Amino acid sequence: MFDKILIANRGEIALRVIRACREMGISTVAVHSTADSDAMHVRMADESVCIGPPPSAQSYLSFPAILSACEVTGAQAIHPGYGFLSENASFVQAVEDHGLTFIGPSADHIRVMGDKITAKDTARKLGIPVVPGSDGGVSEAAEALRIARDIGYPVIVKATAGGGGRGMKVAHNDAELEIALGTARAEAKASFGNAEVYIEKYLTTPRHVELQVFGDGRGNAVHLGERDCSLQRRHQKVLEEAPGPVITPEERAEIGRISAEAVARINYIGAGTIEYLYENGEFFFIEMNTRLQVEHPVTEAIFGVDLVREQIRVAAGLPMSFSQDDLQINGHAIEVRINAEKLPNFSPCPGTVTQFHAPGGLGVRMDSAIYAGYRIPPFYDSLIAKLIVHGRNRQEALARLDRALGELVVDGIDTTIPLFHALLNEEAVQTGDYNIHWLEEWLRSHSPG
Amino acid sequence: MTRTDRHDSDVAFIRALAELLRENDLTEIEVEREFAEDDSLTVRVSRATQTIVQAAMPAAMSAAAPAAPVPAAAPPEGATESAGDPAAHPGAVTSPMVGTVYLQPEPGAEPFVKVGQQVEQGDTLLIIEAMKTMNQIPAPHGGTVKRIVVEDGTPVEYGTPLMIIE
Repeated sequence: MFDKILIANRGEIALRVIRACREMGISTVAVHSTADSDAMHVRMADESVCIGPPPSAQSYLSFPAILSACEVTGAQAIHPGYGFLSENASFVQAVEDHGLTFIGPSADHIRVMGDKITAKDTARKLGIPVVPGSDGGVSEAAEALRIARDIGYPVIVKATAGGGGRGMKVAHNDAELEIALGTARAEAKASFGNAEVYIEKYLTTPRHVELQVFGDGRGNAVHLGERDCSLQRRHQKVLEEAPGPVITPEERAEIGRISAEAVARINYIGAGTIEYLYENGEFFFIEMNTRLQVEHPVTEAIFGVDLVREQIRVAAGLPMSFSQDDLQINGHAIEVRINAEKLPNFSPCPGTVTQFHAPGGLGVRMDSAIYAGYRIPPFYDSLIAKLIVHGRNRQEALARLDRALGELVVDGIDTTIPLFHALLNEEAVQTGDYNIHWLEEWLRSHSPG
Repeated sequence: MTRTDRHDSDVAFIRALAELLRENDLTEIEVEREFAEDDSLTVRVSRATQTIVQAAMPAAMSAAAPAAPVPAAAPPEGATESAGDPAAHPGAVTSPMVGTVYLQPEPGAEPFVKVGQQVEQGDTLLIIEAMKTMNQIPAPHGGTVKRIVVEDGTPVEYGTPLMIIE
C-alpha cells in the first residue's frame, strides 16, 4: 500500500480523497494555486505544495508542477479526482514514466474512451447497446427508407461532419424522411462543405441513466447499479439519484451484467461510468467516463462502500474488497449540486461566505470545502457543495432532502439552494416522472418574463 | 565599435540565439565569441522543458567593460534586514516553479551568487531541479544580493522567496 498520495485537485473532491486516505492511514499531499492558499483541502492535508498562479493551465493542469510536487514530497501515487487531469492520457503516461502510480485507468483506456467514435465502436464490439443507425453515410432515399423502417421511426438525420444542431432533421415517417434527407444534405453541404449524412434512431424523451462499474485490472469487474441524472441544465447534472426511479431489478441486472462484462474484457482498472440514454425499457450507449464521478456518493450510500478507498486499493495492486454478490442495494439516495450561482440565470457568483451551517442528522452527508469566511475564487468551477441524503425508500429520501435543505445555511453569496426547494414541490420530481428535457422546460416556464 | 553599439549587438545576438533555441526545440545553446585578446563573450541560453525561457549571461564578462564594483566586505546574512516576511519584501525573488534548490552549478563548486554581491538582470542566481531538469533561475532585476533565504538542497514551491536583491 502507498505511504503517501498526492491529490491533483481542489475543492470538495480533494477533501473527499483526503478523507479516504486518512481512514487508510495514508499521508496526503495537497497541491494548490496561489488563489487557493486558504482552501480547505490545503488545511486538511498533511502537507501542501503551492504549484502555480491562479490559472488552471499553470497550476492544476501543469504536468511539471504536479510531478515536481510528487518529487519534493516523496508521494508515490497521484489521485486526480474528477475534471482537471483525470481523463488526460498524456498525463497518465507522464506519471508512469516518472515511476509513480496514477490512481485510475490506463492511458490506453482513457484514450479509447475519450474519442467519441472509437468509444462507440469499442462499446459495440464489447456488446454494449448503441443507438441503432446507418453505420456510415447515406445518400440514396431508398436506402434511407429501408434503414428507417428497420430501426423504427422517429429517426434523426445528422451531418457526418456536423455539430451544433446544424444539418440535423427529425423524421417521423417515410414522407418526412425524404424531405429531411434533402434538407439535411443541403444544410450539411452549406455548413460543413460535406453533404454526407447518416441516420440514427431518435429518442424523444430519454432519461440519462448511467451504470457505475469497477474493475481490478485483471479481468474482474462488478457493477454498482445505476444513477438517474436526467435533471440537467445545459448538459450539466443538477440532481442525481440512485437507484433510478423507473429501472426494474431485471433491467438493472441485465444492463449491469453487460456493462461489467464489457469492462472486465478490457481489463479495466478502477472506477468507471457507462452513460446511457434510456427510453421504453432500452439502453443506448452515450459515452464512458474513465474516472470517479461527481455524483458517486449516491452509489456509495445505497451500497455502503467507499469507492475512493477501492480505487486506491486496486491501484496498489490489491483485489477489490467486494464481489458482485456482496453488492446489495439498500434504500434510496439523492444528491443535489449546490453551486455558487445566481438564479434565475445561473450566473457564477464568487465572493466571501459569511455564514455556513451544514445540515446533519440521520442519512445526511455534506461534501463541501467551504467554511465561514472562505472567499470563493473566481477562477474555478462553481460547485461549492454536494448534499447527499439516504433513506429506506425514495419517499423518505425526498423528505430528508427537504429537511436537510432547510437546515443548510450559506450566506454572503448566491447559491442554487432555492432551485431545490422549488423542485421538491414539483409533482414530476416527487414521482420521478421526468426526462432529460424536463428541467430545461421547467426553467423556461418559470423564468421571469 | 562604440560601447553602446557593442551592447546592442550583444543583445541582438542573444535574442537570435533564444529564437534559434525555440524554433529548433532545443533546451540549451552555449556560444563563445572571441572578439580580441581579453575580449570575449560567452553566452549560454537555456530554457525549462515547458514554457520558461531564460537568457543567462554568466562568467567571462568583457574585459573592456568595467567590472562592477564589489563591496569590500559582504554584510552578514540578514544583518541589514528585519525578520519580516521575505516574500513581502519589494526586492524578493520568488520561485517560478516547484522543485529542489541548488545554490551552485555542481556539488562542491562555488555558489552562483553570495550575499553582498552585485548582480545584473539575467544573471543566474541558483538552479531549481524539477522533473530531473536543471532550471537556471535568472535575476529578475539587478542589484545587490541582500539575503539568500533558501538553503542548498531544499524543496521549494511556487512563490517561495529565494533571495532578496535590491
